[in-house]
Amino acid sequence: MSEPRELLRVTDIEVRYGAIRALKGVSFTVGEGEVVALLGANGAGKTTTQKTISGMLRPAVGSITFEGRRIDGIPAHELIGLGICHVPEGRHVFPRMTVHENLEMGAFRFKRVDSADLERVLELFPRLRERIKQQAGTLSGGEQQMLAIGRALMGKPRLLLLDEPSMGLAPLIVAQIFEIVREINTTGVTVLVVEQNAAQALTLADRGYVLETGEIVLEGTGRELLADDRIRAAYLGEEIAAS
Amino acid sequence: MHALIQGIILGILTAGVYALMASGQTLIFGIMKVVNLAQGAMVILGAYLAFQLFTSFGIDPFLAIPITTVALFVVGVLVQLLFLRPLRSDDRSELSLLVTFAVALLLEGIMSVIWSTSDRSINTHYANSSWTVFGYQITLVRLWAFLLSLFALGLLYLLLNRTRFGRAIRASVQNPESATLLGVQSERVSAIGFGLGAATAAAAGSVYGLLYPFNSGSHYDLISRLLSIVILGGLGSVGGAVIGALVISVSSAIVASAISPIWSEMTFFIVLLLVLLVRPRGLFGTAARGAI
Ligand SMILES: Nc1ncnc2c1ncn2[C@@H]1O[C@H](COP(=O)(O)OP(=O)(O)OP(=O)(O)O)[C@@H](O)[C@H]1O
Ligand SMILES: [Mg+2]
Repeated sequence: MSEPRELLRVTDIEVRYGAIRALKGVSFTVGEGEVVALLGANGAGKTTTQKTISGMLRPAVGSITFEGRRIDGIPAHELIGLGICHVPEGRHVFPRMTVHENLEMGAFRFKRVDSADLERVLELFPRLRERIKQQAGTLSGGEQQMLAIGRALMGKPRLLLLDEPSMGLAPLIVAQIFEIVREINTTGVTVLVVEQNAAQALTLADRGYVLETGEIVLEGTGRELLADDRIRAAYLGEEIAAS
Repeated sequence: MHALIQGIILGILTAGVYALMASGQTLIFGIMKVVNLAQGAMVILGAYLAFQLFTSFGIDPFLAIPITTVALFVVGVLVQLLFLRPLRSDDRSELSLLVTFAVALLLEGIMSVIWSTSDRSINTHYANSSWTVFGYQITLVRLWAFLLSLFALGLLYLLLNRTRFGRAIRASVQNPESATLLGVQSERVSAIGFGLGAATAAAAGSVYGLLYPFNSGSHYDLISRLLSIVILGGLGSVGGAVIGALVISVSSAIVASAISPIWSEMTFFIVLLLVLLVRPRGLFGTAARGAI
């Protein structure tokens, strides 16, 4: 398999919250059309990494390029114009808007809503079609997550940043969500996914990186990482001795 | 009984004007988490502008509204850009109290210089006309004021619910972070939102000037009433502000006719105290900020 064209390159970024150094020189790349997983324990800096890519945080040191163009320092509301769509941790739907209005907001960066996109999203998430007039705040957790992802798709993403899409969802729904992420990927959308659910994420991902207290400590293809003892011990809950 | 019903009619008609002022204030809170203590001063500024347009050019205060709303919209945008935007977001809510109070004092000072501090009123030829319907007196000005307020609130509703920009405002109110990630420029929404809040103050100001005599210090009384209304309705909820205005105006009108007009002035503050004691989030402040 040939190397995919590079879409995103993160070089040596440091991100601080006041005196706390949450990222201490993180570097990685994401190729066009890939699914890349970002793993790590709580507080490792996964969310911080994604927020920095989507422009919600600025790196103190280092650079980020998207298609070779420097994007660190560009504010979040402009970055979406390049096709970087971020679905943040914890299903941030607009609770007092209908499902339909939420999806329309997803296309805010365009002057008008593309009805083909809407149709595609509703095909991907039939449950959203059934609940199109319902207030988003009254959807179940899984439905809200679907809506958050669907809303991001309305923005015609080139790079989709997903932060723990499976958090708090029942196994069946988790499997569904991952299946949908795979489908989205096959339509040409590059995905950078943060997950606690390492087994699922690595099965889906072409490659993965493991963060530990603000540094990347491990990288490899999904298959390599799945087989790695350290990953198995730390994230898959297996005893190393037993394997 | 007759006096009571007459009081209720008056209360409902008055509620329209207060609803308009308060909806602007609660909108500003919803978007920016800013309690705008200058809203009363902006209403009075709107009243002075209507007064001036009437006395200098003979423009009817109702017809002056398109002019005064545009003028106050610009004032609102400037206040946001010059005074509020520089505040850091983590302590913006607290500092904004000081800043908007300073803006109120600044506006009061400017108005005192231009129009002096003596009472003004806008005396149109129809100021004292009234209709009698089933034995109840309905002042024409109040009826027009009420209808105009409904119309303005209707426009605000359509703007918020039926336009792309309105959707962006509501999105920012409900989840500013997600709105930004979808491309909404929060600074622009804030500026236009503040401008809209000020514009509602201008529309209400024209009407206020028709209904009551006013001077540059009238805003103190007004802002305390407005705060009672928006707190009762639930800060940030436009629907709540309308209901709050209705509840408070009607109850103070009932108190005025059943007990005494002196006590009616107190109704606002008694309602405010009760709300703060019993339900500090207000009527529609439950799951965050209600109706918007
Ligand atoms: N707003 C903030 N202020 C101060 N420190 C923060 C802030 N946000 C995150 N941190 C700190 O930065 C570090 C990285 O946090 P981050 O949210 O990126 O972790 P994460 O890998 O996403 O964790 P989780 O799996 O729990 O979501 C943590 O130590 C956290 O306490
Ligand atoms: Mg996280």
